[in-house]
Amino acid sequence: MASTEGFVEADNAEAIITRIEHKSRKIESLLKQSKPVEALKTALEGSPPKTRDERCKSANWIVVHRALMAIKDVEGLLSSLDAEYYDILMKYLYRGLSTGDRPTCDQCLRIHEKLTERAGLGCILRCLADTVNTV
Amino acid sequence: MTAIAVNQFAQCITCHAWSPDHSMVAFCPNNNEVHIYRLSQDKWEKVHVLEKFLHFVLKQHDQIVSGIDWSPRSNRIVTASHDRNSYVWNLEGSEWVPTLVILRLNRAALCVQWSPKENKFAVGSGAKTVCVCYYEQENNWWVSKLIRKRHDSSVTSVAWHPNNILLATTSADGKCRIFSTFIKGVDTKDSRTGPSSDSKFGEQIVQLDLSFSWAFGVKWSPSGNTLAYVGHNSMIYFVDEIGPSPLAQNVAFRDLPLRDVLFVSERMVIGVGFDCNPMVFAADERGIWSFIRFLGERKTISSGSKYGSQFSEAFGKLYGQSKHGLSNDAVEPSRSRGGIHDNCINCILPLSQSGISTVMRFSTSGLDGKVVIWDLENQADLSEYL
Repeated sequence: MASTEGFVEADNAEAIITRIEHKSRKIESLLKQSKPVEALKTALEGSPPKTRDERCKSANWIVVHRALMAIKDVEGLLSSLDAEYYDILMKYLYRGLSTGDRPTCDQCLRIHEKLTERAGLGCILRCLADTVNTV
Repeated sequence: MTAIAVNQFAQCITCHAWSPDHSMVAFCPNNNEVHIYRLSQDKWEKVHVLEKFLHFVLKQHDQIVSGIDWSPRSNRIVTASHDRNSYVWNLEGSEWVPTLVILRLNRAALCVQWSPKENKFAVGSGAKTVCVCYYEQENNWWVSKLIRKRHDSSVTSVAWHPNNILLATTSADGKCRIFSTFIKGVDTKDSRTGPSSDSKFGEQIVQLDLSFSWAFGVKWSPSGNTLAYVGHNSMIYFVDEIGPSPLAQNVAFRDLPLRDVLFVSERMVIGVGFDCNPMVFAADERGIWSFIRFLGERKTISSGSKYGSQFSEAFGKLYGQSKHGLSNDAVEPSRSRGGIHDNCINCILPLSQSGISTVMRFSTSGLDGKVVIWDLENQADLSEYL
């Protein structure tokens, strides 16, 4: 039973990675058209928290990071981002902060402040308390 | 004003319970004692202390009392404590006389509740078990029956369905479970209804797997049709049609997590917790639950910080320094938060009148040592849900 599950998981992982590659190309073109908010939305959409495969998580983090670093206008981002994305964005901000990379952390802290104002402490709690659906 | 009485009884209160006529309140001031106060001429005075020196030295609690419940009809108090024991206290003359209940636990007892018929009580514990206790006439003794399996962590709260059989529990493993507690000789066949109709003691009816973090504060609606509980991830869960295919709703809110909830009607729930201010949740005509508003006066927002809560000082410091490089005293560390409770609220109880299922008054207690009585009268925007 365990081995079949593992196989399905690996099969899924390939499919997910292909999807992320698609997303990556779309994000690049959106960034070229200077639509960073659209790019971030695309990156957050269909992010794979349910899978346990670290490769998928890392692959998606790379595309989210790419879109995240392109954000200049944080207020503008948050007012055009639907509330349903707040929790997942917060998770990626904490992933960014955990890298320890100076420019990434600066950017993540900047967004974190504005996101907390908007989404409240509950958003942080949901992100920290969820040890199952990690990004 | 929704808070009609604020009483500072102690430094910190772990739990409280009301006498049947609401003239007396029993609470644990964060130690091994239970204090009972009575209201006489607008002043609360201490009338009893349920603790070891009043009675037999060995018999009473020697650790924190974690749960108190006062039965409304039979006027008995049951207490549960971290010392792994429970006592049922009977008023004989002017003295409260305890009866030890050996729960057979190897970890702390965390919560206790009388069943609706008051012939059983349930204790949740840190030993991943629930004890259902009942009185055995022939032995003059409270017997504890254990539900050992199923829970993967501490049982944080228990709630009885109005049918006296179903028991809901929440656990630190994040799950909410519903068990049958049918005990031969205590319960009668005809009292069994609905999904529990053919289940034995300890049988699990359903396991609700909605939360990914600790679950707390489970409660049934007055009719027993809806169940509510909270997760430590700032979520509250509402479950209808308890049975093989339950209907669940997850409601996320923007503030700190809740610890306990109370149904004031079928369509309105009050949640209390780390935000120090009761929150109102209600269901619209389609049965969709959502956060309505805070019950207390909205907290005054001080200039030093944008976050009106316990974390505000730390947050203020973090952002204050990162933005302007200011020193710590930019944020006053000891400002009043302006709410009625100053610390986490961990207990909410109805002050219901007999025969009326809608709760107009309720009380809250918390780590700030206050017992606050709230009234929902004259809340125009909430009256449609009552």
